[in-house]
Amino acid sequence: MTLRRSINAYAYIAFPVAILTVFSLAPTVLGFALSFFQWDGGGAPVFVGLRNFQALLDDHRFGPALINTLVYVIASVPPAVLIAFLLAVAVHAKWFRGKALVRTLLFMPTIVSIVAIGFVWRWVLDDQTGLLNWVLSPVYSILGVTDRPDWLNEGRWPMVWVIIISVWRNIGFCLVLYLAALASVDDALYEAAELDGAGRWSCVRHVTWPQVAPMTVFLIVTGVISALQVFDIVFVMSGRQVGPNVSVLNYEIYNQFKGGQLGYAAAIGVVIFIITALATAGQLGLSARRQRAGSTRTAAAKVVERVHA
Amino acid sequence: MISTLRTPPLAMRLIIYAIVWLVALSMLAPFAWTVLTSLKTDAEATRAPTLATLLPDVPQWGNYVRAMREAELDRFYFNSVLVALITTLLAVTHNALAGYAFAKLRFAGRRLLFGLVLCTMMLPVTVSFVFAYLICQWFGYVNNYQALIVPFLASGFGIFYMRQVVATVPDSLLEAARIDGMGSFEIFWSIVRPAAWPGITALAIFSFINSWNSFFWPLIVVDSPRYKTLPMAIADLSAGLYVQSWPVQTAAATILVLPPILLFFFTQRAFVRGITFTGLKEG
Repeated sequence: MTLRRSINAYAYIAFPVAILTVFSLAPTVLGFALSFFQWDGGGAPVFVGLRNFQALLDDHRFGPALINTLVYVIASVPPAVLIAFLLAVAVHAKWFRGKALVRTLLFMPTIVSIVAIGFVWRWVLDDQTGLLNWVLSPVYSILGVTDRPDWLNEGRWPMVWVIIISVWRNIGFCLVLYLAALASVDDALYEAAELDGAGRWSCVRHVTWPQVAPMTVFLIVTGVISALQVFDIVFVMSGRQVGPNVSVLNYEIYNQFKGGQLGYAAAIGVVIFIITALATAGQLGLSARRQRAGSTRTAAAKVVERVHA
Repeated sequence: MISTLRTPPLAMRLIIYAIVWLVALSMLAPFAWTVLTSLKTDAEATRAPTLATLLPDVPQWGNYVRAMREAELDRFYFNSVLVALITTLLAVTHNALAGYAFAKLRFAGRRLLFGLVLCTMMLPVTVSFVFAYLICQWFGYVNNYQALIVPFLASGFGIFYMRQVVATVPDSLLEAARIDGMGSFEIFWSIVRPAAWPGITALAIFSFINSWNSFFWPLIVVDSPRYKTLPMAIADLSAGLYVQSWPVQTAAATILVLPPILLFFFTQRAFVRGITFTGLKEG
């Protein structure tokens, strides 16, 4: 009976579990192993120990890609989360009209293909025919600038724009999640704070922000994980000519993969994984410690509240 | 129930409105421009962008026909629709059935297998994709539709999501059906499926948009023009391949962005519920 029941249940999960094993679990395990081999996909892989990782240190493309990736993570994730929080507080307010429309508009870049976004922004930023340089042309003539900046190709500008566009794109997603979190904040907390004479801004800082802290942690942690794997936006914005000034780790993997250096590509993947694991563990540890400190404060606040009542 | 702060004075409210709408319109502007340009003539599109030249004199719907023909977008469009529809239909079915089994059926090794499923949600794609590619090659999927569909027929996220959704269906309902002599699949079909329908819809929308917009993986497994999908074709177009005409290029981009936007617009509530559900569960 139990066996028959079990077999019946396995019929539901056999295929999905097989798919996940073949296309996700097995490739990951094999991928980690591959980072210790040299292999072009044909013939027998050659075991090279840690030599792929040593080679990374001498690779003149790896250093800049690592730095660009870290800069991208730090400069793109926190601003998007913070801006989304502030906008969510405003949109959530009872007096705000047009909530649904704002939510829809802000969400658009999130659901639209990154390719289309790259396409539009390349037009905005084009040095000769682009919208931005056209808008700025009066400023250029006042300042006496003769060489219009080539936003897409010159020096640090491509990276700056990749970051700005990422922030712009991710605000909507964070906003929708913050709106859900704000809906569950207890009204009594605001009343208590106002009784204590707290102003609006102080309420936002000391009531709203700590109350939605779990959502902030979620957004930052998942944001950092996906930002460390950034590829699409860089690839699309560079029009496939990814120079060292915008290259990121995942692009280097793609590059090595296309060049048949599979073991070397896997080694960079392992590096991304290690950074991701460390960053995630670090953030979760930090937030847990803060939460412990915070919970004592909240408990104290509750006592004060009760005394007031 | 909305918990909120006291209403600020009018001047403050106006400033807040201005900031929020400025940001919101910055999200709309690029897409509005894309659609407007797609309806202009080549000459109109290259004029300096001023308010007077914002709208096309006569909408050039022919640009869409040209995009389909000259850039051969009809083929890529067909590929994208085919891949996204099949993936969505099959993936949602498999994930829903697996989610049902994990939520409501008892079997040996359930915890272990569910742990395995959750585990796949955290695995780094940057490490796994090389062998995922090689396995596809081994099956003969590379440069074919299978490579774009088969690896996505089940997902850790989808199974987890469906398990959480099905878990909210009361056990008493299922028990009553079992006493009436229904089999496990009959129970799924006539009780669980209708009860979990909002969750199933939300997952279907996610799957469709993910598949439709997917870029990195197709770039890895497909280089034959026959099996390219729309995002890859638009990326080629944006890099200056096929056609030089701005209106035709923007028409192509419009074709790419329209399905997700329409889908989102008409299913907003299901969609938002889906995201907030997963966000809250994990947060």
